[in-house]
Amino acid sequence: MHKYFTILKREYAQIVKKKSFVIGIFLTPVLMAAFMILPAILADKDVSHSETVAILDQSGLHIGQQFAESLAQYKLEDTDVPSYEIVGVETIDVADQESFDKKYDSLLMQVSDKVVKYMVVIKPEPHVGDSGLILVSNSDNFRTSRRFEHQFWKLMSTEKLRHSEVNMPIDSILELTASVKMIKRDTTGDAIPFVVKMFTALVFVMIMYMMIIMYGTTLMRSVIEEKNSRIMEVLVSSVSPFQLMLGKVLGMGGAALTQVSVWIALGLMMYLSAGTISMSLDSSLARIIFNPLIVVSFALFFVVGYILYSALFALIGSVVNSEKEAQNFIFPITISLIIPIMVSTPIAMDPYAPWVVAMSFIPLFTPTMMLMRILFISPTVTEYSIFSGILGEAILGFITLTLSTIAIVWFSSRIFRVGILMYGKRPTLPEILKWIKH
Amino acid sequence: MYLQIKEIRKQFGDKVAVEKLSLNVPRGAIYGIIGPNGAGKTTTIRMIMNIIAPDSGEIIFDGSPIDETFRDKVGYLPEERGLYKKMTLIEIITYMAELKGAKVKDIMPKIDPWLDRMQLLDYRDKKVEELSKGMSQKLQFITTLIHDPEIIILDELFSGLDPVNMELMKTVIMELKRDQKTILFSTHVMEQAEKLCDYICMISKGKKVLDGSLSDIKSGFGTNSIQIDIEGDGAFISSLPGVERMSEFNNYIELQMSEGADPDAILQGMVGKVKIRRFEVVEPSLYNIFIQTAKLSNEELEAMETNNA
Repeated sequence: MHKYFTILKREYAQIVKKKSFVIGIFLTPVLMAAFMILPAILADKDVSHSETVAILDQSGLHIGQQFAESLAQYKLEDTDVPSYEIVGVETIDVADQESFDKKYDSLLMQVSDKVVKYMVVIKPEPHVGDSGLILVSNSDNFRTSRRFEHQFWKLMSTEKLRHSEVNMPIDSILELTASVKMIKRDTTGDAIPFVVKMFTALVFVMIMYMMIIMYGTTLMRSVIEEKNSRIMEVLVSSVSPFQLMLGKVLGMGGAALTQVSVWIALGLMMYLSAGTISMSLDSSLARIIFNPLIVVSFALFFVVGYILYSALFALIGSVVNSEKEAQNFIFPITISLIIPIMVSTPIAMDPYAPWVVAMSFIPLFTPTMMLMRILFISPTVTEYSIFSGILGEAILGFITLTLSTIAIVWFSSRIFRVGILMYGKRPTLPEILKWIKH
Repeated sequence: MYLQIKEIRKQFGDKVAVEKLSLNVPRGAIYGIIGPNGAGKTTTIRMIMNIIAPDSGEIIFDGSPIDETFRDKVGYLPEERGLYKKMTLIEIITYMAELKGAKVKDIMPKIDPWLDRMQLLDYRDKKVEELSKGMSQKLQFITTLIHDPEIIILDELFSGLDPVNMELMKTVIMELKRDQKTILFSTHVMEQAEKLCDYICMISKGKKVLDGSLSDIKSGFGTNSIQIDIEGDGAFISSLPGVERMSEFNNYIELQMSEGADPDAILQGMVGKVKIRRFEVVEPSLYNIFIQTAKLSNEELEAMETNNA
């Protein structure tokens, strides 16, 4: 026991003493936040200058001019400058296909030369069917599309109503057809918005992914270094390879845990201090992250998942001679951590889908997949049963994960034992299999 | 017997590295395993250290088969040496001692005297990467001995050492012997073994060819060798009648006589052709004993000579 602790202590100290560790603790959350929040902010941010719009109207209804006028209501943020500068409204007769083509081509050139940002084409008989509007642009954005569609829809509705025999002011009719906002609830109260669920799931899983990859590769690198510096032989004459491997895995795990704990503490501090200001934003988020089942399963799946993956990283480190050689072996590990992230949307939509349930019991996927399922399901569960439902599956998943982790640690240590003393040549698969039997 | 090795065998693939090797190491002795590179010395030592398991045979230490506890009683200096480059000397010494189950408070007072002895005291709080190669060797030697092991196993101790440090190591080894420690070491340089060992085991191609106390071995071969010290080209000497083999060393030549040959006749054959400074009929050197016993091929002989000259 003493020797495990000696190794653990050194490995832990080696990591925690490094400047990069301290920097990582503070920089990672900032970077992560930047990665997740920045694109959202940027996408939502209004452009700072007017954008040019050219309109080509083939409708014969003078919709082009009305459309141009309707765009005048949009102003740049905090100014009186219109968002869209109309550089021209061309009305072309339906029959005159030749001049339409000419005009179209010349505008197309201007769009290509960035003289015109948006070319809007209104087709003949735009009120028939639902695709009377064409937008030509090399860089369109969500906000502009939505505005154009909305304004066009309004014009078309007005146009259609004018031709109908309804005897009512057009504005009040439009009022009547306004879309409905649905209030969503689940069995325990106000529903957690899908975005919030997705966001928390991705944050949790990304933390797991990052920590496992980061500390796993550090562990692997340290084994390779011990091999290359030939210190390995002295080490294994003092401790058993198993003690060495487990000591290293746990020592680095301790460092990873320290890092995550600091983050949790920082997050809690921020939450408590900011609680008075932005409580409203957090009610659904709080239901997820303060759910005891989620907290406990994150801790357990993270720890056991880390051990499982680290054992594999230690194994790789023991059989290769350089990091370069290790690349091929790391690939499948990275993939098995990324797959759950890739399927996170379907998991969120149906966390009980048979294939999702099945996948969440595959040991390499269990830590991330099961955690995501728990995240999506558990806030809506009022009563837990330990034999069925998500809690039952989580327990079963945890048991199978733990058992397979023990098996993988044992299996890795068999290879580790032989691999660490092999210098120079990378062993072939049959050789590795032979080592396990010995 | 303190350390007993009974018919151990190890095979890697098709290659037999060690074949039914038995050794008996008495307590307090300096025991040398000698043989050319690739003879199986390191494999034997790794099996004693329980780093690799023998295919068959057993190793008994102090009356019982080696187990986990043996690790803490032994000080091991492997042929492949290395230390953590980013740790300071004091950190690495304490770490290595702790891995041997020693308590920090017990070894702390011993560290400075050791560093002083190895002329490393100035580097106490420096990192290993700042040391020269010779210094790291000495540091590694300290880490091997700091926990006061009962038995010390040194694989190719002298390889890569300069003469000054080599003397330093020899002095330390003689002191360890005085303290009744048992020392087992391997080398392919026979002269070193000859100067240090009480007992010797010669191995060649994984097999033991000879073992026993140094004096027994030597006397068993009688005085069939001549050591000479000459000036001039002595190449012709090897073809003189009665000379079976000639081996050239740094500062002398050793001749092995054929059976019944007369040393006087050989001397006669040399007189007038070269200047003779010394001519001595002696017991054969370990090197010559090895050559006579191991029955090596010409290539192996050549390899031996480059290593021992």
